[in-house]
Amino acid sequence: MFDLLIKYIREGRITLDKSKYDVLATYHDPCNYGRKAERLFGHGFFDEPRWVMDQCLENWVDLYPDRNDQFCCGGGGGTMTTGYNEERIYYGRKKMEQIKATGAGMVVVPCHSCHGQLNNIKKEYGMEELTVKYLWELVADILVIN
Amino acid sequence: MTKPDEIMDLSQIDHGVFRSFPFLQDHCITCGICSSSCPVSGIDGFDPRKLVRLISLGMKDEAVDSRWPWICTMCGKCQYVCPMDIHIPDLVRAVRSMRERDKVPGILHKGLEAAIRTGNNLGLPKEDFIFILEDVGEEIAEEPGFEGFTVPIDKDGANILTTIHNKLVNTHTEDLKHWWKIFYAAGEDWTVPSDQWEGTNWGLFTGDDQAMKTMVGRIADHMDRLKVKNLLWPE
Repeated sequence: MFDLLIKYIREGRITLDKSKYDVLATYHDPCNYGRKAERLFGHGFFDEPRWVMDQCLENWVDLYPDRNDQFCCGGGGGTMTTGYNEERIYYGRKKMEQIKATGAGMVVVPCHSCHGQLNNIKKEYGMEELTVKYLWELVADILVIN
Repeated sequence: MTKPDEIMDLSQIDHGVFRSFPFLQDHCITCGICSSSCPVSGIDGFDPRKLVRLISLGMKDEAVDSRWPWICTMCGKCQYVCPMDIHIPDLVRAVRSMRERDKVPGILHKGLEAAIRTGNNLGLPKEDFIFILEDVGEEIAEEPGFEGFTVPIDKDGANILTTIHNKLVNTHTEDLKHWWKIFYAAGEDWTVPSDQWEGTNWGLFTGDDQAMKTMVGRIADHMDRLKVKNLLWPE
């Protein structure tokens, strides 16, 4: 998925308008693409999404901690569907603190579970204004169409 | 001083119970770094070290009946920091697999059963699925710059096959559009299967290896049948 986006951009098959979003953004590493991929397949996708972010946005910052040390969003492992919602919302507190600390108005994620979780819990932490965006949604939003 | 047998039934301890578990649980030095790293530590009395200890002591019923394996997200932070490299997320998944299927919490097993039976977690019929895809495709075609856009369903010899996350044909159809617009702009030759299209694989969460294999096998079959070389599976 990252490799495909990178290929399209590098080969000039898509052109992006980097000026479209001037909001400060941040990026969340999903456990499965990052830490767990590195463990299972010998390669964690940490640099690739950051390169895509650089092509899309003038203004974005990493969370702290990040990459292998990243906190889980709390929505993985099927927890969106177990019905243990109080636990799941509490789990997300560290993620929301991390995002709040950056001052970002938009968090970009390349994962359906992370996207669902962050959108679901932001109101619980007084962050209704936070935009949660798929990485590929960000790319699609700023496509230059001739 | 409290005696150990006042806290727990020592007769339950049997190191042989989980001997077949390959997760190195007996290597635990009880340092607690896993528990410090875990965002779910403290909820319901859980922390990863306690679960590893339950397994090491062979306390099967306590582990399997507990909510602990299900409130863990298997994020792998614990394993990443563990000095003994204990495979804690895999251990959690293995404990989940030992839960009776009708006691798997929430809709996880029900969704998986529907997927095995119908090809997707929702039990969405093929004609409804195709209707939704084409409807969303028509919306894209109405946008400036995307004239003539159509959804290439079951296209032989396409370059890329995509799966669909069930929520995108349920409550989040707008989110189908992002990848499709990118494909259009990039001139990609892509396709989506008309049935057995489910991109989630809840056997990962319920510990059901057989179901996982079935779901993955269906995707592989599509690729063989349609002679597609690349798979985009962003779920």
